[in-house]
Amino acid sequence: MAEDLLVVEDVKKHFPVTRGIIFQKQVGAVKAVDGVSFTVKSGETLGIVGESGCGKSTLARCIMRLFDTTDGKIVFDGRDITKLSRANMRPIRREMMMIFQDPYASLNPRKRVGQIVGEALEVHKLGTASETKRRVQELLEVVGLNPEHYNRFPHEFSGGQRQRIGVARALAINPKLIVCDEPVSALDVSVQAQILNLLEDLQQDFGLTYIFIAHDLNVVRHISDRVLVMYLGKVVELAPKAELYDQPKHPYTGALLSAVPIADPERGRARQPIVLEGDVPSPLNPPSACNFHPRCPRFQAGHCDVVDPPLYPFGDGHIAACHYPLERWPLAADEFRKPAAGHPPAETETSAVS
Amino acid sequence: MALYKLFVHGGGAMLRYLIRRVLWAIVLFVVVTLVTYVIFFLVPNDLAAKVAGQGSSQQQRARAIHRLGLDRPVYVQYAKFMWLLIKPVPVHIGSVPVFIRPNGNLGYSFVRASSVNSLVKSAAPVTASLVFGGVIVWLLMALPIGILSALRPRSLLDRTSMTFVLIGISAHPIWIGLIFAYIFGFKLGWFPISNYCDFFNSAGGCGGPAQWAYHMVLPWLTYAILFAALYARMVRANVMEAMTEDYVRTARAKGAPESRVLRSHVLRNALLPVVTMLGMDIGIGLGGAIFTETIYNLPGLGKLLLRAIGETDLPIVMGVVVFATFAIIVFNLLIDLLYAWIDPRIRLS
Amino acid sequence: MALLEVNDLKTYFQTDDGIVKAVDGVSFSVEKGKTLGIVGESGSGKSVTCLTIMGLNSKKNTITSGEALFNGENLLTAGSRRLREIRGNDIAMIFQDPMTSLNPVHSIGAQLVEAVQLHRDVSKKVARARAVELLKAVGIPRAERRVDDYPHQFSGGMRQRVMIAMALVNDPDLLIADEPTTALDVTTQAQIMNLIKRLQDDFGSAIIVITHDLGVVAEAADDVLVMYAAEVAEQAPVEKLFNRPFHPYTWGLLGSLPRLDIEVERLVQIPGQPPSLLRPPSGCRFHPRCPYVMDKCKQVDPPLVAISDDSDHLQACHLDEETKDREAKKLLESTMAQAS
Repeated sequence: MAEDLLVVEDVKKHFPVTRGIIFQKQVGAVKAVDGVSFTVKSGETLGIVGESGCGKSTLARCIMRLFDTTDGKIVFDGRDITKLSRANMRPIRREMMMIFQDPYASLNPRKRVGQIVGEALEVHKLGTASETKRRVQELLEVVGLNPEHYNRFPHEFSGGQRQRIGVARALAINPKLIVCDEPVSALDVSVQAQILNLLEDLQQDFGLTYIFIAHDLNVVRHISDRVLVMYLGKVVELAPKAELYDQPKHPYTGALLSAVPIADPERGRARQPIVLEGDVPSPLNPPSACNFHPRCPRFQAGHCDVVDPPLYPFGDGHIAACHYPLERWPLAADEFRKPAAGHPPAETETSAVS
Repeated sequence: MALYKLFVHGGGAMLRYLIRRVLWAIVLFVVVTLVTYVIFFLVPNDLAAKVAGQGSSQQQRARAIHRLGLDRPVYVQYAKFMWLLIKPVPVHIGSVPVFIRPNGNLGYSFVRASSVNSLVKSAAPVTASLVFGGVIVWLLMALPIGILSALRPRSLLDRTSMTFVLIGISAHPIWIGLIFAYIFGFKLGWFPISNYCDFFNSAGGCGGPAQWAYHMVLPWLTYAILFAALYARMVRANVMEAMTEDYVRTARAKGAPESRVLRSHVLRNALLPVVTMLGMDIGIGLGGAIFTETIYNLPGLGKLLLRAIGETDLPIVMGVVVFATFAIIVFNLLIDLLYAWIDPRIRLS
Repeated sequence: MALLEVNDLKTYFQTDDGIVKAVDGVSFSVEKGKTLGIVGESGSGKSVTCLTIMGLNSKKNTITSGEALFNGENLLTAGSRRLREIRGNDIAMIFQDPMTSLNPVHSIGAQLVEAVQLHRDVSKKVARARAVELLKAVGIPRAERRVDDYPHQFSGGMRQRVMIAMALVNDPDLLIADEPTTALDVTTQAQIMNLIKRLQDDFGSAIIVITHDLGVVAEAADDVLVMYAAEVAEQAPVEKLFNRPFHPYTWGLLGSLPRLDIEVERLVQIPGQPPSLLRPPSGCRFHPRCPYVMDKCKQVDPPLVAISDDSDHLQACHLDEETKDREAKKLLESTMAQAS
């Protein structure tokens, strides 16, 4: 069976908040990622979902070692890369690449497509100029672009084509792992489908492993083998895709799933959305214990706000951090207890951050 | 009171910010004065001959040097200068000392028989008239030009004013000053081309607000034209950008008439950066005053400084530098406060 | 009579590169209290259509023709003063990005009061009371206090609520919502869509929802307009559009959509890119990407006509109805079979 390509153990990334007139002293920390553990098997796609500010992009950057982690351990292909120096990290960078959300901002507008795609080949000194060119043209063909467009600039391409260039760049040096950070959220539906199909084809052909970060639960369901749900820097649930979408255990996962509009008038109008009150609290000052408790419809005072729930196992690699997991899905509306009276809905004010 | 609110909102962040600014201003002040001092002593000069008079004996020169303290090490001189300046002096109301102020004594001229304070005091109003009048003139030129060009981009008005801007930016103020003096002063005889009239005091020939303004017209124009050009271009760009903002579309969708959209939604946002720029340009503006004062023979700080450098009169050079630095720092602080007051995003975060 | 009736609306922009036909002959109508969904990809002309109706395109370099009858009055020929009376009073609009759609230097109260006073001759106090009332209606906690806060002190979801309050403050007959939830998180999206639905019941406004999200349309709209390259491809009541889609572009959209409730092996993909509106393809604009393309499609632009057994259901495609019915059924069966 496939071995673990990536092991993430209790990774934390805290951004210090400082205050002071001349000498800045730390007065707090934004806990962007706060103790996240998971593994990614070779050849699978792990989807990571969560709303903006949940720490999913920070986590991706920690894995890529674009950020240094505050704490925890990242093991890639059997090697601990958490503390590797720049130089020691270089050969490993060949094996993990990233695809970004914005196909407009992530390509250097002054460089030709050939240079962009071939950059990694040059950096790692793989092959002569003509070999590089041949390889780039091959890659352009693989991602469905015309190899003759080798000499064009990014602005001559549409959004979807640019994202293909981004994919070609990521593929250039045969990486094992590709971290995709919202790769299709800036694209139109029809183009989005093209890119998703392309990613799936490439995975088949080259045996790639993906970490696929997105806020769109539809897309994540389609592309992932397993799905990890994050809330305020923590893992709330992790399960094989079918399990997660059919049998969610954490109320937050339930709320997310029930909030997605369905492109079918009959079924869509019949769905019972669990409407969460308020907004995601500030990661600077997260709620005590289970940090979902102020918005949770199943909140039990004296328990959820006192004891931080561990990730309880539900079999088959399904884990969820909730003391009162959902018994079945979908739940009827009256199976959700409304928050107790006198417990005003949480509200984030940006002023609370400053 | 609005100013009071500034400090209360945002948990004293504004106060901490102010304290930080003041501390930095002190550092800046020390660095500027020190550098001026060092440069002065690095440049070769014949100070002794100047202070003791031409044809004085070796002994007379040595005495003069000693009297002025110029035979001491540079750091001792600097320390003495600073001490004279910042020595705390109690301020009495009646006979009760109420608070302490710095002494503020800038010393005495090497060459002339007067205190630097009195020289600076008499020159400062001239420069202030020039600079503040000039700022008003340049804003009066830049704002309408910039706004109107932004509202009608590529129109005849826009092209004409942008040509003006190009000339204003490329021509040197001295050249512009000379041309103005020649045309409006000498040829047409509309305005005087030299001398300064005091705003308040009419003793000594001319004075009073009317004469003051009359004499300042050409200097103001000369002084303002470069900045007017730069600011017109900036205002145009800012207004054009603000016109495309989503909240401007929102205002239109609410049914607001175009005049209101412009006034309440476009200009307020477009002019915020102008305030910041004003704060940054005031230092450059003081430098620009030197040229204008020279052309129109205005007895301001620029002229005082130029002459003092010619005469290697260190205390006056220091006096002008200290005063100018102080003025710039104070002005910048005021601009910061003004900015925070008009921009709620700064005020409340 | 329909509240809004748009006939053969065209909006052309003159640019340095030539004329961009951003909207090219669009017709539809909206009834009182009903919701019309306009779906399409970026550049399909859905937003420009509504901005044109509101008279919010910049006048320069824009050529508009056709008519937009609002209560029988043609908005395209109305004077700017009359349009200002209508905007914000009879027709209100909310936009995609709540972060940039509110003026950062005015308190939200001031912006709501402005909206009231532009159309009602009332004192500031009365206008402010109305503002607070609306902020409460859209679910802003502690509205009396927060009315004096500035936009940056609110989260994205809260700002969109403020936008909605501002749009509804004068009780408009028609609300145009341009991608109202696109910039928001899933759970916030759900809150905002619920809010809009609830307020429609309370205020009885008609709504036009512009969106690229077929899910939003399926759940919120009564009628749907599918736009492609500045033209209407298909128009139908919502159940009919989803249960019997009749245009290859609509099939493509439905098939390319990954869905939460359905396990699809592989997404249908529409090949190619949306065309340039500067030089749109000849004939049917969808023909270069259409798997059913015939010779006729390359030459003749298909008119938007009702399908033979249903006068409510309009579509613009040359393909014969038999094939279409077969294909629609196939598409539907494949999704039904996979539905969990």
